[in-house]
Amino acid sequence: MQTSETKVTGQKRTIVAAVMILFCIPLTIAIGILFLNDRSYYPISLMIILFATLPFAMVFESRKPQARELVIIAVLVAIAVAGRTAFFMVPQVKPVIAIVIIAGVSLGAESGFIVGALTGFVSNFIFGQGPWTPWQMFAFGIIGFLAGLLFSKGILSGKTLPLSIFGGLAAFMIYGLLLDTAAVMMFTSTWTKASILSTYMLGVPFNLIHGASTILFLLILSRPMTEKLTRIKKKYGLVEERNDS
Amino acid sequence: MRATKLHADAFSGCNPIVNFMYFAFVLGITIFFLHPVLLGISFVSGMVYSIYLNGGKAVKFNLAFLLPLMVAAAVINPAFNHQGVTILTYVRMNPITLESILYGIAAAVMIGSVILWFSCYNAVMTSDKFLYLFGRIIPALSLIISMALRFVPRYKAQIKRITNAQRGIGRDVSSGNVIVRIRSGLSILSILVTWALENAIETADSMKSRGYGLKGRTAYSNFRFDFRDRILVVAMLLFFAGIIASIALHRLSVLYFPAFVINVPDGFVLVAYAEYLIICTLPLMLDIREDLIWRTLRLKIVSSGNKSSNGADV
Amino acid sequence: MALYEIKNLKFKYPESETFALDGIDLSVDNGEFLVLCGKSGCGKSTLLRHLKTVLTPHGKRIGEILFSGKPLAEADLRTQTSRIGFVLQNPDNQIVTDKVWHELAFGLESLGIGDAVIRLRVAEMASFFGIQGWYHKSVFELSGGQKQLLNLAAVMTMQPEVLILDEPTSQLDPIAASDFLATIKKINTEIGTTVILSEHRLEEVLREADNVVVMGDGKIIAKDAPAHIGHKLKALKDPMLYAMPTPMRTFLALEESIGESCPVTVREGRDYLARYAGAEGMATEVGYKTNGAGSCHPQRSSDPSPVAVKDVWFRYEKNGEDILRGLTLDVRCGEMFCVVGGNGTGKTTALGVLSGLFKPYRGKVSVLGVDTTKVGSAALFEKGLGVLPQDPQTLFTRSSIRDDLLDMVSHGRHAPSERGFTASPAEVLPEIAELTEITTLLDQHPYDVSGGEQQRAALAKVLLTNPKLLLMDEPTKGMDSFFKRKLAGILRKLRDGGMTVLIVSHDLEFCAQYADRCALFFDGNIVTENAPRAFFSGNSFYTTAANRMSRHIFEEAITAEDVIERCRQAKQR
Repeated sequence: MQTSETKVTGQKRTIVAAVMILFCIPLTIAIGILFLNDRSYYPISLMIILFATLPFAMVFESRKPQARELVIIAVLVAIAVAGRTAFFMVPQVKPVIAIVIIAGVSLGAESGFIVGALTGFVSNFIFGQGPWTPWQMFAFGIIGFLAGLLFSKGILSGKTLPLSIFGGLAAFMIYGLLLDTAAVMMFTSTWTKASILSTYMLGVPFNLIHGASTILFLLILSRPMTEKLTRIKKKYGLVEERNDS
Repeated sequence: MRATKLHADAFSGCNPIVNFMYFAFVLGITIFFLHPVLLGISFVSGMVYSIYLNGGKAVKFNLAFLLPLMVAAAVINPAFNHQGVTILTYVRMNPITLESILYGIAAAVMIGSVILWFSCYNAVMTSDKFLYLFGRIIPALSLIISMALRFVPRYKAQIKRITNAQRGIGRDVSSGNVIVRIRSGLSILSILVTWALENAIETADSMKSRGYGLKGRTAYSNFRFDFRDRILVVAMLLFFAGIIASIALHRLSVLYFPAFVINVPDGFVLVAYAEYLIICTLPLMLDIREDLIWRTLRLKIVSSGNKSSNGADV
Repeated sequence: MALYEIKNLKFKYPESETFALDGIDLSVDNGEFLVLCGKSGCGKSTLLRHLKTVLTPHGKRIGEILFSGKPLAEADLRTQTSRIGFVLQNPDNQIVTDKVWHELAFGLESLGIGDAVIRLRVAEMASFFGIQGWYHKSVFELSGGQKQLLNLAAVMTMQPEVLILDEPTSQLDPIAASDFLATIKKINTEIGTTVILSEHRLEEVLREADNVVVMGDGKIIAKDAPAHIGHKLKALKDPMLYAMPTPMRTFLALEESIGESCPVTVREGRDYLARYAGAEGMATEVGYKTNGAGSCHPQRSSDPSPVAVKDVWFRYEKNGEDILRGLTLDVRCGEMFCVVGGNGTGKTTALGVLSGLFKPYRGKVSVLGVDTTKVGSAALFEKGLGVLPQDPQTLFTRSSIRDDLLDMVSHGRHAPSERGFTASPAEVLPEIAELTEITTLLDQHPYDVSGGEQQRAALAKVLLTNPKLLLMDEPTKGMDSFFKRKLAGILRKLRDGGMTVLIVSHDLEFCAQYADRCALFFDGNIVTENAPRAFFSGNSFYTTAANRMSRHIFEEAITAEDVIERCRQAKQR
């Protein structure tokens, strides 16, 4: 039952995603080329990001999640956002990616994406929305999604070390590169090798700190936190509940 | 939710649909079209409105954060982009062109406008408004957002409580080197996670007890869509359509490379500029109108007060 | 017809040997106000949760629950949602959304009701409960009492026929609790909603009830009207008698007759005592032999005062309001000192200053001989300070109580103790577990045990640091009277071993009974301090029920035991 359900939602997501990829995204690019004379990468990429996020939202909504699932996701989002406060004495250190990865591994790829994307959204609600919001949402979301997907396929083991390495790479490669790319597209008109490279180089120190702190977080946090989530899922029958309905 | 406004903003009092549509239009046009005149209008009105909304804080922010960012954007473009036909000079064998300088300025103004408009957005679009707009379209996600917004301040307070309680049993977290601090931060986070997850089950119980999960859930809101909102929506749609039509007819066009070309400012185009100016200054106009009404009302109250006291004398 | 009819209900939690509910037979009438009481862990919550299907715990169950004549399970979710309202214990955990207005509308949204109707219902409820003033506020800005009132209102918008409340006031301060109970009474009398409520603090709630049900070990021990329940308990010699309101206990201790109705309120108790005094020809001034509660512990002159605070001023922000205004406080070595006072008077802030968390901007604070303005909380801890926070959950770090305690043993101070705790960490642990009576709980997860047990485990954790001075913030919050007695016993033992205990509390009855000295905190300062007997008999309003009930006859009788003893003395003459 569990598997057939995931299969159905998986299919739905594939259909929606196919529509997005085959129809909406090319349309956006076409409109961009037709009406925006110069290379307006930024608006086009923004639209693509939005279209890539939509299927997740639609599938999640159509699944009609249970109260307990909503609450657990909301708790993880709020912990990721409020977690900064616990590190008030070490600036520039945020546990967001670590928590998103743990969410993806414990709750599955779908929920991993939702936790990630909503963390980006809610934290910007508190610190102020900006043009970076969709990028952050997508970057956090896709990290959570990948963690869940690789874990369920057996590629990523749930052990502390592989998770930490994955976290470090995700923070450096996925989050760092995506946001740096966003910056390149927003600031400059053309993709010259030099401009891209220099932006990435500028970003390296920040991304390194981010990656290293994520590794440290996961080294210490991943096991106890996964245990806690497992306990909650077991204690309150979150797994069974989905089967009942 | 955190914005404390200087004074009542008439535009914030409009229906969230109006607010959201407005920001979508203005931000959309600002991001999509690097037209110098449109950007100029957007930048100036965004600046004035953000100062109207946020006061001195906005001025400080603009000088400290926005200005350097814009300068950077204006410099980066000619430094890396060597397209364009009008070569002004060479820096280390690389041509610096007039076109790329112009583009750099346009990009800088675009970024500046976007950030200014977002600061207005943050002041106007409170969480209630967002949840009102999307509560019907994405009900489950909206509810998660609402819950998370409820949890975040609660968790922050709990983190403080945990920190103090841990100090009381000899676990001081504000001392030691970075690694030690991160470790104690993590142990606080760990206590928080258990606490949050365990207590959240009662939240889920409370949701179920109040019927969450029944078919046909509605989304209640306090907002009403009144006559003024309707007029504003129609007006915005008309003006927006006008601008889009001008763009589609290639009357509002600009080209930076290879050479800078801009549309001729004929009557048609001037109308489009005016339309955009009206859209951008719409909230300010509403505010000025309301301020004037209040002033006359106050004058009336004062003068009627004087009259009645005079009457009493007689 | 009865609204609820429960027939021979038995229930067992999974992985448990014993029945949590063991043959419950109970019927609740329409419009009835029923109070359910019993020791912690007697099955009250389990029983209440059986009255609404979505909240019913997993486990083995036999027996029948009828709701309006039909099996409860047959009533669908929609019916149960709107007809059965349920308010839980913790005010914070129940709130789902971030805004007051949204919380009020939540249940109606689930039922699929349109905007216009919701607007009307919400308006009605906001007016009835007087919450219009904070209708647009964020939930975070509300006080605990306001939050619980919001939870109640959010349930009442659905116009339920029955309101079930599981210890709704246990986390509230006394004033918020009585406001809340008054609202419940108003709902019961003015709207006619049936009320089923479980409670530890019976002084105020019992007089409102039509019937009282006393539970013990998953069974119903007695059910009767408040004025008669006492007789039944007395006949059964049930320990729950001890938890009953002071007037009732006094009456039952002095009278032999079975038929008469017990006094329940202070006024009734007062009238009864007047009658009793008249009948016995008792003089209104009877000398009192000083013993019993609050015998003062001799001060050890050699030791410095563990807490010496002089003219302390404190505020959180530079431009904020002063929270402490010239606070002066002196706690002697080896005494149990209780600070009482209302909410927001600065009691908890004062504890923060004593534990080195906040630095005063004027005045001197010396704790265990250390100037707290000069050193951090770590140095105070080294000197022997232990703090038990209000919320025990802020202390638990591990997944079993044993690990949690071992954590302290390996990290805490374990210098040889003067109190007879052996120095070896491995031996200290069982000793302390024994003292706090958590030996059987050691292998459980800290969140799987009850609130009172969490409190004990937290106390054990603090005690493992071997403190010389123990600061406690509201240690009796949410505790039943039995465990309060146990706690007092533990504290006395520790005090007799030389530990100084400073308690900040709302719980006047507890302080009157067990403190060596009490102080009244008001407006950032201590207004008066004295030994409990002099302290409480000097107050006219802010004092114990026993004192209010007997002050026209006796001087300085502040607990039920005092009153009973003095009545007996008078009789013997």
